[in-house]
Amino acid sequence: MLCFVKNFAIPGARDLTVANEDLRDRIRQAIKRQERPTVTVLSSLLATQDEFGYIPREAIEEIAVYTGASTNDVWGVASFYKNFQFTEPNEHVIEICWGPSCHIMGAPEIIEEAAEVLGIEGEGDSVDGKGTLRYNTCLGACARAPVISIDHQLYGRMTAKKAVEKIKSL
Amino acid sequence: MPEHITIEIDGTKVQAEAGTNVLQAAMDAGVYVPYLCYYPGMKSFGACRMCVVEIDGPRGTETAASCTVPVGPDMVVRTRTDDVQDLRRNIMDLLISEHPHGCLNCHRVDLCGPQDICLRHVGVNDRCVTCPKNERCELKDTVRWLEMELDTELTYNNRHLPQQVNDPFWDMDLNLCIVCGRCVRACDEIRGDNALAFVDRGGKGLIGTSIGTSLLESGCEFCGACIDVCPTGALVERDHKWDKAVTTYQSTCNNCAVGCQVKLEVDKRNQLIRTIGDLHGAPNQGQLCVKGKFGLEYVNDKRRLRTPLIRRGEDLEETTLTSALDFAAAELAKYRGEGFALIASPRHANEDLYIAQKFSRVVMESNNVDVSSNLRPELFPALGEMLGYPAATNTIWDLELAKSFLVVSSNMTEEQNVTAIPIKKALKTGAKLLVIDQRETELTRYADLWLRPRPGTETALIGGMLRVIVDESLDDHEFLSKGVNGVTDFKNSLWEFDLMQVEQITSISREQIQQAARIFVENGPGAILYGLETVEPVDRDACVRSLIDLAIITGSVAKQAAGTGLYPLYAGANEQGARDMGCVPSHLPGHSLVNEESAIDRFNREWATVLPSNPGVGVREITEKITSGQIEAMFLLGNSENFKNGTMGEFIDALGDLKFLVVADTFASEITEVADVVLPAATFAEEQGTFTNMERRVQLTQRAITAKGEEDSAWRILGQIARRIGVNGFDHPNSEDVFEEIRGMVALYGGITHERLAKGGVQWPCPAIDTSESSAPHTEGSQDKLSLTPIEFPEPQGEIDPSSEYPLTLAHGRVLREPDRKMEIDLVDKRNIIVREEILEVHPEDALVLGLSVGDVIDVVSERERIRGVVDTTSPLKGVVSTTTLFGSRLLDINQGATPDPMIEFGALPLIPVRIEKVAAQPIEAAAD
Repeated sequence: MLCFVKNFAIPGARDLTVANEDLRDRIRQAIKRQERPTVTVLSSLLATQDEFGYIPREAIEEIAVYTGASTNDVWGVASFYKNFQFTEPNEHVIEICWGPSCHIMGAPEIIEEAAEVLGIEGEGDSVDGKGTLRYNTCLGACARAPVISIDHQLYGRMTAKKAVEKIKSL
Repeated sequence: MPEHITIEIDGTKVQAEAGTNVLQAAMDAGVYVPYLCYYPGMKSFGACRMCVVEIDGPRGTETAASCTVPVGPDMVVRTRTDDVQDLRRNIMDLLISEHPHGCLNCHRVDLCGPQDICLRHVGVNDRCVTCPKNERCELKDTVRWLEMELDTELTYNNRHLPQQVNDPFWDMDLNLCIVCGRCVRACDEIRGDNALAFVDRGGKGLIGTSIGTSLLESGCEFCGACIDVCPTGALVERDHKWDKAVTTYQSTCNNCAVGCQVKLEVDKRNQLIRTIGDLHGAPNQGQLCVKGKFGLEYVNDKRRLRTPLIRRGEDLEETTLTSALDFAAAELAKYRGEGFALIASPRHANEDLYIAQKFSRVVMESNNVDVSSNLRPELFPALGEMLGYPAATNTIWDLELAKSFLVVSSNMTEEQNVTAIPIKKALKTGAKLLVIDQRETELTRYADLWLRPRPGTETALIGGMLRVIVDESLDDHEFLSKGVNGVTDFKNSLWEFDLMQVEQITSISREQIQQAARIFVENGPGAILYGLETVEPVDRDACVRSLIDLAIITGSVAKQAAGTGLYPLYAGANEQGARDMGCVPSHLPGHSLVNEESAIDRFNREWATVLPSNPGVGVREITEKITSGQIEAMFLLGNSENFKNGTMGEFIDALGDLKFLVVADTFASEITEVADVVLPAATFAEEQGTFTNMERRVQLTQRAITAKGEEDSAWRILGQIARRIGVNGFDHPNSEDVFEEIRGMVALYGGITHERLAKGGVQWPCPAIDTSESSAPHTEGSQDKLSLTPIEFPEPQGEIDPSSEYPLTLAHGRVLREPDRKMEIDLVDKRNIIVREEILEVHPEDALVLGLSVGDVIDVVSERERIRGVVDTTSPLKGVVSTTTLFGSRLLDINQGATPDPMIEFGALPLIPVRIEKVAAQPIEAAAD
């Protein structure tokens, strides 16, 4: 399905419209903390994602004000990149590499079992709020394939069984 | 002259301007190359690849998108080889795989009706005949031109997206979008609004707004530019969505002073169904605003007056045109002299206005003639005295080349919308913008420096800027020494403008005044645009003079170059025309004063009459004169928002005091209710005429629809009454004949003929047939030197009496978007509405006196309205309450209102006296924070 509809259909997306001065303050601080030679829409989005783990609706507006772009342009950039997400992630983010090496070494099986243990089908958030499953095209550790990462911590030479144990122990 | 390069296109050698692309060069040479994402006037984008051609160039033979290849020497271009055509068909196959294409390449598409049984199994929803842009679909035309085979190997992938039909005026069906990006680029490159953007990526990439929100929130000004450029049915106007145009007429929009050239599309039922900006129109270059794009629907309204009405006792009764005119003539004949007044509307053509003033002066022997928008007459005379002509010096699109701008108290993005387009374009390329205004408007968002002087101190502020320019020797010495009188007197007069004092009375800091002067001069010389909407009437003349001084000492009027000059921004569409036609109480046609003897002699001779020489009463004094009994009979041509919004006092009430009132209007209203005779009036779409816009360009309107009843144009109605009263000189057979008389009487129009106008607008001064257009006539070849006017330090305004009923001033601004403010879009009755809390900014000292704290809910009450909002103590000016509302809210009010002709209600935003009423203290939770 297309983005236009998808974003309308994000559960709870409308909740984000609630203006929240604390949230906005945090966003403003996160944007202003940037120490890059050039501050852009993209760098501000990254700063926000670093701060919150996702990009709240208010951040689109705050970044527009800060960079002088229109909200629509900020959204255009934000919606272009897969790495940005617009709902609050669950407690832990589990990324499973499905690049060629990991694929050959058994990533499909890990994905299947990990999704099953999280109670989801493929990428997404588990209902209990514990885990978010994402696919990654390459985690950059092909020698140790198959690789998964839990909260940015890499685990190599995985098997489906070990991965499930790790997820369960979260 | 730009350099030309010879290239060969399909075996023919053609000349192309260096720097243009191959596609444009081919089109200029009359060779058609199909394209879908390119659009004249916008940068090349190279998205659709439909314009591929074979080019023998420096890199050998290549197949390239011609819109992105600049012409080069000795290029050989082949546009229609078999290979290229095959490639285009393949590209089109891909393009239409996400657009319903069952009909596109069907051989009987032109014969098919929506209900026909279809052998190709094209569902009714996917048929071209059910697409709102069927008759003007560029995609279909391109597919037909490519002579595509009946079937494509790719199946149609329906996106199944819901239609977006909740915003005003505008429908979007993204299932038809081919992502050419024209709308996004038009909104960005041309309009500078960025209300649309590309969203998402890859195969899912489409156009849209931030998080799919409503256009009301995304900063849309509803100009319709995206609809006009959309090559498919993805973006369409909602009104008359599926109606088919039978004829198109070239005309001029009469909703504001820009005079946009439009194409009026008329259907077979004699209805105006669409307005499309004319790409070749000099004032607008294809652009329109909401008033022109969506605001001309009133001409079709069923509530139009179609038959004359006459008062019998309490009621108005329908009657025949003859008896209504007989009655009006017989009655009006009793009120000849200064007891008669005529007020026309600025929406009338020059012909109407000329005959109106002639009727008033010759038939009724009264100089009391005016247009209802003429509430700021001070904008003009100083221009005439100091520079030669009471009109703008340069053209609208010259502004694109300006390096700096000074905009004084004008909400031009709403009132003269298209004028702001070249300004926004120039700002993108580094020009600087200064805005002097108490209100926050769209332009203040773009301003490099936004100065908010205390109301009534604008002249002092400009004087302060002049002083800085002279002190820092930023003036144009060469020009001043050669072409200007009164330099010493002027400079001496500036001694009074001590910056400390200026700072004190304007509340603008010295540094800012210096900065303003430097920005304006060092990037300039720049253009000065002034509306003086928030300036007190008594200060306006001095303010205009100080601005002209500023233009002269910076050499802005001397350069005659694009990007300089002075532009008065007045409200009425044909107010310039009214001035030229003498439809003002103080001037005869051609700008001669009513008491100027040589002029009177000439007009007496030409019109065979004896003209009154007392200056007449204008709209600003008329209410008072009616109430005091000095005016007994009136003729009103057209309605105006000014009649009831208080700017003319209690005008509607005063009309009751008249002994006789004739109204010629398009709709029944408060003014027709009290009239003795009501005559149905034609609109601009029903009569040929000429309009003069704010850059002195005389332009034609054409008869696009025929009258359905007895409605007629003002000049013909007035002529018939004049003949009945027994006065000669009103026997014009058609409007061209009236214009011929105008040509004879107004020297500036002498060389403008209908023949010339048919090819496009002509700027005055144009004294002879062979006069070519000139952009800046004010200083051209003039023997007289320009003169500077010494300016006086304005008397500091007395503080408003705190015990008066309305002790504060409200500065009400409007902007397109405020992303940092909380707002929500709610759906009510299938329409989006804006839900937002307004913030009323009060000066901290005022808040202290009134016992207000941040977060309190208050009402700001004026004589006519009441605005509720939450207090913030951020107003920079003591005694001024400021608030900024959204353009979208106003648009919704207008769109949902019941009035048939809503765009005249758009209204200016003057400063108004108000008082504050506290509704509730801040909620306890908020106070705890």
